[in-house]
Amino acid sequence: MAKQGKISAVIPAWCEAESLGRVVAAVRKYVQEVIVVDDGSGDQTAAVARAAGAVVIRHLVNRGQGAALETGRRLALRRGADVIVHFDADDQFCAAEIPSVCLPIMAGEADIVFGSRFLGKPANIPWMKKMLLIPLAHLVNLLLFGRTLSDPQCGFRALSRRTAQAIVISQDGMAHCSEIIGLAFGGRWRIKEVAVTVHYHHYGQKFSGGVKIFSDLIKARLFNG
Amino acid sequence: MGQQAIALLFILFFITRLILQKRRGALSGPAFVFWLSFWLIAGLLVVFIRSIDRIVSAAGFSSSGINVLLYLAVAWLFYLSVKLNIKISVLDKNITILTRALSERRGPDEPKPDL
Repeated sequence: MAKQGKISAVIPAWCEAESLGRVVAAVRKYVQEVIVVDDGSGDQTAAVARAAGAVVIRHLVNRGQGAALETGRRLALRRGADVIVHFDADDQFCAAEIPSVCLPIMAGEADIVFGSRFLGKPANIPWMKKMLLIPLAHLVNLLLFGRTLSDPQCGFRALSRRTAQAIVISQDGMAHCSEIIGLAFGGRWRIKEVAVTVHYHHYGQKFSGGVKIFSDLIKARLFNG
Repeated sequence: MGQQAIALLFILFFITRLILQKRRGALSGPAFVFWLSFWLIAGLLVVFIRSIDRIVSAAGFSSSGINVLLYLAVAWLFYLSVKLNIKISVLDKNITILTRALSERRGPDEPKPDL
């Protein structure tokens, strides 16, 4: 039996004025509130998001996607979110899939739901990402957390309020994907994966980005305990 | 002997640069003392390189004194690099904390009402 609750989407955005209006308008149809964290953009990102109907909180300087998600998590919890959805600003995900990602939480079957680009839905993932970066991310997750998911780097996920209260994101950059997976397994939360569609409009994370993620995770493990 | 003289000339050059920078006010007192001590110790090691050779040999190392000094210098550089890395990580985290605190103090902008 699905329960009712406030669903808040958190969208971290840096210089995404071009696509953000479309994304916010699409996401608003499926959630009660859209929170855009403008991560120190130099363009009209904040104005576009606000005009499209989002609550906007702004970082004065760019701190990275993980830092923006953490700011969004805190704001969403303060504003009474029962479910928090993480969604990308670059129009690569399909907003119509938000209900299916939230459903396991609303039905009480899961605490955290990860979107997966590898469970059968259309995904035009670049070859280099599919054959090199994703397998490497699997390896890193296995080495550091002993577990991985079918998609170790998907930015589309949903967390119940209780899970969001416990999962504090400390990785400011792109390593937050692996960090959240590690914390979800470590906290013994009920995890579910749901197939999502992805349409890449640009390449996104490069190989050097993958190396940076690995080094950030290692640094956190060595220096932060 | 010639190599020692060249090394000492280099050290002398760096010490004069150091004094000039101090006079211009580009270096703080503690930084000046640290770098002056550093170059003076380097000078002493160069002057007494033969004695260091003997000490290193007596300690059972097959390398010459200058090699051992180079190994130690590389190890020291690695240590400094790690220390610097940790410091930058901490600064980075603190900048994020400050940025977030400023954002939260300012508060979010509510959406524009639908027309």
